[in-house]
This record gives sequence, C-alpha cells and structure tokens, in this order.
Amino acid sequence: MRISIDWLKEYINIDASAEKVAEALTEIGHEVEAIEKYDEDFIFEVNVTPNRPDCLSIFGIARELSAYFRIPTKFPEYAFAAETGELDFNIDIHDPNLCNRYAGRIIKNVSIAPSPEWMSKRLEKCGIRSINNIVDITNYVLLELGHPLHAFDLKTLRGSRIMVGTPETIKGKGVIIKTKTLDGVEREIPGNSLLIWDAEKPIAIAGVMGGLNTEVNKDTKDIFIESAHFNPISIRRTSKMLGLKTESSYRFERGCDIKILKKALDRCAFLMKSIAGGQIFGKIDIYPKIYTPLEIILRYEKVNSVLGLNLSSFDIDEYFRNLSFELIPLKGFLKVRPPAFRSDIKREIDLIEEIARLYGYDKIPARLPDASVCLFDSTNRHLVSQNKVKDTIRLSFLKNGFSEVVNFSFMGAEDLDMLKIPSEDVRRKTVKILNPLRIEDSYMRTTLIPSLIKNVLYNLSHGNKDLRLFEISKVFIDNNSSKDDIDSKDNKLPIEKIHLAAICYKEKAKNLYKDDTHYFYNMKGIIEAILYSLKIKDYSFVRSSEPFLHPGQSADLYISKVKSGFIGILTPIVANNLEIKAYKPQVGILELNLKALIENSMNEIKYQPLSRYPYIERDTAIIVDSSLEAISIKNLINEFQTDLIEDSLLFDVYQGGNISEGKKSIAFNIRYRASDRTLKDEEVDTLHNQLVKYILDVTKGQVRS
Amino acid sequence: MFEEIRDRFSEDLKSVQSLQELNNLKVKYLGKKGIITAQLKSLSTLSPSERQVVGKLINNIKLFIENEIASKELFLKDAELQNLLKAEYIDITLPGKYTSYGSEHPLNIVLNEVIDIFIRMGFNVEEGPEVELDYYNFEALNIPKDHPARDMQDTFYISEDIILRTHTSPVQIRGMLKRKPPVRFIAPGKVYRCDADISHTPMFHQVEGLMIDENITFSNLKGILVAFIHMMFGEEIPVRFRPSFFPFTEPSAEVDMGCILCKGTGCRVCKQSGWLEILGAGMVHPAVLENVGYDTEKYNGFAFGMGIERIAMLKYQIDDIRLFFENDIRFLRQF
Repeated sequence: MRISIDWLKEYINIDASAEKVAEALTEIGHEVEAIEKYDEDFIFEVNVTPNRPDCLSIFGIARELSAYFRIPTKFPEYAFAAETGELDFNIDIHDPNLCNRYAGRIIKNVSIAPSPEWMSKRLEKCGIRSINNIVDITNYVLLELGHPLHAFDLKTLRGSRIMVGTPETIKGKGVIIKTKTLDGVEREIPGNSLLIWDAEKPIAIAGVMGGLNTEVNKDTKDIFIESAHFNPISIRRTSKMLGLKTESSYRFERGCDIKILKKALDRCAFLMKSIAGGQIFGKIDIYPKIYTPLEIILRYEKVNSVLGLNLSSFDIDEYFRNLSFELIPLKGFLKVRPPAFRSDIKREIDLIEEIARLYGYDKIPARLPDASVCLFDSTNRHLVSQNKVKDTIRLSFLKNGFSEVVNFSFMGAEDLDMLKIPSEDVRRKTVKILNPLRIEDSYMRTTLIPSLIKNVLYNLSHGNKDLRLFEISKVFIDNNSSKDDIDSKDNKLPIEKIHLAAICYKEKAKNLYKDDTHYFYNMKGIIEAILYSLKIKDYSFVRSSEPFLHPGQSADLYISKVKSGFIGILTPIVANNLEIKAYKPQVGILELNLKALIENSMNEIKYQPLSRYPYIERDTAIIVDSSLEAISIKNLINEFQTDLIEDSLLFDVYQGGNISEGKKSIAFNIRYRASDRTLKDEEVDTLHNQLVKYILDVTKGQVRS
Repeated sequence: MFEEIRDRFSEDLKSVQSLQELNNLKVKYLGKKGIITAQLKSLSTLSPSERQVVGKLINNIKLFIENEIASKELFLKDAELQNLLKAEYIDITLPGKYTSYGSEHPLNIVLNEVIDIFIRMGFNVEEGPEVELDYYNFEALNIPKDHPARDMQDTFYISEDIILRTHTSPVQIRGMLKRKPPVRFIAPGKVYRCDADISHTPMFHQVEGLMIDENITFSNLKGILVAFIHMMFGEEIPVRFRPSFFPFTEPSAEVDMGCILCKGTGCRVCKQSGWLEILGAGMVHPAVLENVGYDTEKYNGFAFGMGIERIAMLKYQIDDIRLFFENDIRFLRQF
C-alpha cells in the first residue's frame, strides 16, 4: 500500500519527520519497506499484513498513528446540506449470506470532466491512473477510507431495480451467465459467484469489477453509487476462479468495515457534488442484520503472563482507549468491544497482541526461559539412529572426495524413460504435481540418479571434468492403495524414503599417478566401509538386473535379504544418449535406500575377548575356472567347520601368463589361532590341507605349483 | 716389531673404503693365516716367561685390531645405509597423491550449524513428511481454506487436500500430537513454493522451532532467539523485534538483526536499512494449541522459523539463490 505523507496529514496532525513516522509504523507492525521522495511529499511503501484490511487506506494508517502518537484523527468532511428528494428505486438482496449490507445513492446531472489536479495527483502518487472525475472520486474514497465503491451510469440500469444474488439464485442452477467486465473481457461467471443485477441483466461482479454495459463514460449524466459489504470468502473465491484481482476484491476478501460504508457513500456523494456538480438524492440502505460488536474478556494478569511484563490495569486500559476500543471495566478484568473495522480482533490473545505492539516489542526484555535444561523426550529415538547413519555416510563420501549436492525434489517423466525404467517398476509409482513450474518438474523424484546425471552434464558443459558427487535426499513413492481409508488420512500421503546416491565420472585426463581401480570397486569399497562402520554384517552383493547398468559391472546390495540398492557402471545404451564424450571411462553410479542401513546398524557392541596365543598363517594359490567368482572361495572358507580360523583374505587374482586359457589363479591367506592354547605347526598343516582339499573338491580346481 | 704391525694395520685401515675391503683386512690380520694368528702360533717357540710377556703384547694388539675393525665396520655400515637412502631420494616437490576431500554443501553446513545451536539449548530434532496434508500445513495452523493468508505462500498441489508443504510448521502439529507438554523441538527440512526468480527457488530449506511449557512468555521467545542469533553470528549483533502476522502465532513477530555486512550503516544487501530480516516468530496461537488438544490455560509457548538459504546467502555473501541448486563443482569446492 502506497501512503502519501502529505495526504496523511489531512487526517492527523503529526509534525514528526517522514523517517520518524516510518519507524513508528514499522514498530507497530506496518513495515515501511521503502520511502520515496515525490516532489515535496514522501510516499511510503507499507507492507500491510493480511489480517489488517483496516490499514489499507490513508485514514486507516492515520488511525494507527493516532494510537501510537496519542494524537486524535480528523474524519474527512462528508456532510452536505440537503438531499434533493427520494427516488423510486428498489434494492433486493437475494443471497443475504453473501451480502450483509447494500447501500446506494443517486446523483443526477453531474458533469463528467477530468479530475482537479490535486485529486489526480494524489491518485497517481498512490499508483492509480486518473480516468474522469466520477471514477476518480470512487477511487479516491477507496484510498482515503479503504471502502470500495462503484459508480453505475443510471440510464443503463433497467427497471429501477438492483438485485444482489448469484446466477444460481437469480437464474437457477445450470444457467450459464456471461458478462463483459470493465476491462473489456467477456467472462463466464461461476454459478455461486455473487453478481449485481438490474431488472434484466448482470451489471457487475460484486466486489470485484463493474460491467462494461453500465460503465460511466463521457456522456453520463446520472449516477448510481454502490457502497456495500460482501462476504470475504465469496469474493475471494470469485476473484480466484476468474483470475481477477482488483483493489476492490483485495479489500473485500480481507474484510471491510461494515459501519464506515455509509460514511464512505456520503463522502463520495459530497465530493461528487462539490467536484462534478449534481444533485444528491436520498439514500437507500438495505442492512438486514445489524452488526453487533464482539465482547471479549481480557484478564489483566494474562497480558502480563503471556508477554512477561508487569503492566498495570491503568496502562492497559489506556492502550485500548487510544485504539478506540470500547471498554467495560469489571472486577479484575475487562470487557472489550473492538471497533467494527478491527475484524482481526476475535479473542483475548488478539487483545494481548495489541498491548504488545503498542508497548513496543523492543521494550519487552529478552529473558531465557526458566525451564529444565533438557527434556526427556524419547519420541524420536529412531531419528537419532537415522541421523547417525546419515552422518556416517556423509563423512565417508566426503572423505572419499565426493562433494555433496542438493537438487530440487522434482523430475520429469522422461527422466525415467532415459533410465529405461520399466512400467511396473516401483519407481514408476510417481507423485504428480498438478501445478508444476516447468513440465520437466512435474513429478516428485522416485530416484536421485537423473538429478545426479544432470549435475554431471551441467558441470561438463562448464569445463569441470573430474566429478564425484553425492546426495542424500528423500524420494516419494505414490501410495494409492488405501485412498479410500478415511480414518487414517496419513495413508493417503506418499511413502517418503531417504536415499543416498552418488556418481563419479572423469574425462580421460593426463595423470601423474596411475590409479586403475575400476569405479565399481571404488564405490563398492566405500559402501563396504560404511557397512563395516555401521556394524552391518548380513549383506551381499549379487549381479544387478537394473536396466540402466552395465550387466557385467553392476551389483545389487542386499541387507538382511532385502534389496537396498545398486552399484554399477552406467550401461552404454544409456550413456551413449547423454552428452558424455565417450563411453569409456565409465560413469559410476550407486543408489541406496537407507532404511535397511538404519534398521540394521548395530548400536550395541559386545566386546569379544582377545586370544593371548600366537597365530599361524598359511598361503595357498589355486587354479580354477575363470568364471568362478571370488565370493565362492570366501564362502567355502566360511563354511568350513572349525573354530581355529581367525581370518581369511583373498590377496591375488591372476589370469594369463602361465595360467591356461579359461582358468585363473586365486590366492588366499588363512590365519589360524586358538583361544585356549598355542597351535602346533603339524596341527595347522593338517587342518589347512583339509581346507584346501575341501575347496578344490567343490571348485574342481588344483593347487597352483 | 709389534709397533710395526700396529702401524701397518692403522695404515691399511685408513685405505679401507668398503665392508669387503674391511673383511679382506680382517682376514689379513686375524684370519687363519693372518699376521696376528701367525704371531700367536710362533709363541710356542718361546720360553714360558717370554711367552707370557710376548703373548700379552700380541693379545693387546689383537684386541686393538678387533676394536678398530668393529668400529670401522659400524662406520662403513652407516655410510652404506646413507648411500642407499641417498639413492632412494624422491622428488618431494611433486604434488601429493590423495583422494581429495569432498565438499559439504553450504546449505547443509548452515543447517547443521543451526541444529547444533538448538540442540545445545536443549531442543530435540523432529521431522515430518514433505508431501503433506492440507490439514497439517494450513488448517491445523489456523489457516482455513479461502483465507487471504494463503496468498502468502504459493502452493504446489498434488490433489485437493495433498500439497507440498510450504513451510516446516506442519511438523509443529505432528510433533505436538505425538507428545504431551512440555515440548521443545526444532524441525529442519525442505519446503516448497510455486515461485522461481533470483531470490526464490521452488524448493528451499527451513528450520522451525517450538517450545511449549508452563509460564513461557514472549520475553522468553526473545531470550531464546537473541541467544541463537548471538551464537550464530556473534554477540555484538543487535537484534530487533517488530510486530507481524502469521495465522498460527499471536502475537507474531518479525526478527531483524543488524546487517552483518555493513554493521548497520546501510548497504545494498540490507537495502540501506541497516537491518536484515532473519526469523519469523510468535507465541503459539491458542487455536493451534486447541487443535492438538493442549490446555491453553496451563500451557503456552512460542514458535519460530527461519530460511536456511537466506542465512547461507548472508553468511557467504552469495547474491543468487539459484547457485545452491546448480551444483557447479567450482561453487561447491569453495565450502
């Protein structure tokens, strides 16, 4: 809201500087966002909060300053000598729930002309374009008193009648009503939107915009002025449905002052008579249900206990008087009647806020609460372990050179197509946004991989070639199974899972040190280290069938038999469609659902006693079919029945050289130790030979000589 | 004669350069056919009295030679090791090989800093869904349908009653429903608004805080938030509270801190005002407490909320919010 200081001074006699006035307004909750010098005047850009429609006018702001500076306001002149006579004119409110009051006056023989300069200037300062004296006066009163008015050309009104009602009420359900508004746009009116009609046709969208067919123009002689009070919710719905926001709808949907309506009408008539000539006719005022002010009980001690102050009842009463609140003092408390323009004051706490803002928030001392140091709150223990797992993972990836990214939670349908995700896959159970900003952002992510691929492409296009990125964020899986279950509304919400995803890609570059470790092993190593630090033992990697991964260089991670994610190299089928120069070197990706990690991470550790006896180690290399995976040797060692194996390690896998085609050599080291005695060499030799024989029997291998 | 042997040995020893030469010398004097060994053998030709005198002299020389050889051996071994080490010298000016440490995202750095401060003040951490029911996001927070306050937050809709949460405040409601008062927690997380320009992104991060107990006052709200701002930005930072409006708090406040860039003298970032808006806060509206079944006569409390992007932008002097989500590695590596 733009407020002219010069105009403001018409209603309140303040001599404080513009800066001081701005500070005062900010201090009592009407933040002055900018001060603009305009000739000799200052214009404030005031941010009026939605609960204070009474401050959407110059006079409303004057009222606030009056309470702050304790200076009275002067109401603008609105009394005029005589009315020319009564008029035969009917007003009927057909939807009394949507229109609480409708008043009007007729003014005849006005001269349409440009507005006087002082008026057009004031409108211009406040951001309203001058049209002609009649229209300008309605806008002037709107800015002055905050009450929207509308002027109709009387000769266009048929049947000396105004009706207030929705199309459904006036014409019946299902009848389509179209009307052209002042902006020249033909609009179809929703059946439950309030309209103003004459005896034949709609002439205005109530509280939003007038109709073109009754517009005041240069030939207008006689005028009907409307000053009404409409239901805020109804106006807001109509304005939203039509996508039509006006100075008038903005005020009506926030709530107008039902009592000022008559004065605004008279002020308007007064100005029309003095500026545009004309005779003022009698007033029609349909006011079916007279407004009764709320009565709110205020306990003095409650004011102090909420604010942490020690104000006397005398001080408190004084603040309310300055705000023009009506007070009925009772024993120990106060009955307060807020004025009609303060529709925001509904209960005791609202009154307490009035005291707080006039006392000054800054004067209320800052004191730490007298509360227990720590609350015992076991409600979210699961969050503690969840955050521990998240921290462990973040740290691991950071230490391994991965930088953390944060992406929007959105994706497009084509992102899943890019990854060749099949239609029955859970990642296709998407949550769709009805009003996305961009079509590529229409869905909530079900996988983090597309965002990370885009991050890599973005970076490559900016010349960044060595990329290791990770993200921990939620994905959203639609949960439409129980949509009909009304009892548990939460079941309608999607399932939110915390995912970890990482990507690594490096364009072939000159490198001082050689590191040929395959990305797969790099990433697998990080994950294994994380599993180790979370003390998760029951996991396995099995070949993955993810459609976007290289079939031979990818694995799914199972934790406690539950598939929890994948690691792998992006398949060339996908990679070739991206703006990545070559398929090799590869793009390594991984994505994990953290649920299994959180649930299986062992928080309680039980110490195992250490053996005091020496160990004996034996190394053996065997030759097996090259298709045999290392894990099978490891499994066989684990299966072997003995208590004496402390640890085992695969330390060499070799193909070629003197190893014949289709075969490979696997070397392993076994460490033997007993907990209760020193082992003898012969005992270990026997045991080790049995183990080797067992492995060879199963693998059909032979010892490498 | 023995003097002569000793001098010759000393002369020989001087010319020894390697362990091999030393060994040769050792053989020459102490070996089976060595000079000293020969002298010892010749003792048998002497009379017992002579043998005693001469034997002692020879033994002295033998001891002398043994000691000299031992110390020469130590010296040579050390020299040899030194040579070996010299041969193993590497170029220490080449760059180190390391797995470079990754960078934390600046938003998470700030988020964790904020969380840490409140944990130190005895707040728990609570979370809630990002795809949320209209009820928790608006209605339970005293923002009915068709309330103009809904214009303050442009909402992404999933269906008529499911939305992307526009603030972390719904966690207040869920958190209170799960507990009995007193409660004290913060709720960090992502929030969404249908808005995008240089200072708005459709997704951003907030931290919401809530404290409900007996005898909590507006004065306490100020106490906690001033403490937070001082811990986060420094004790010398001035803090200003001014009235504002949120449907779920009453009285409501906007909290400003003195501009950390210009120290209050006025600059581009604070729009010449000397103040930066940093938090929204207020006493929890009794209607909200009633919605979760708390006794409003016994309990009251305060709530506050802040935007993490805003704090990070101020802290690192970042002027375009979109940089946080472009994830350009040149940007990320600065943190």
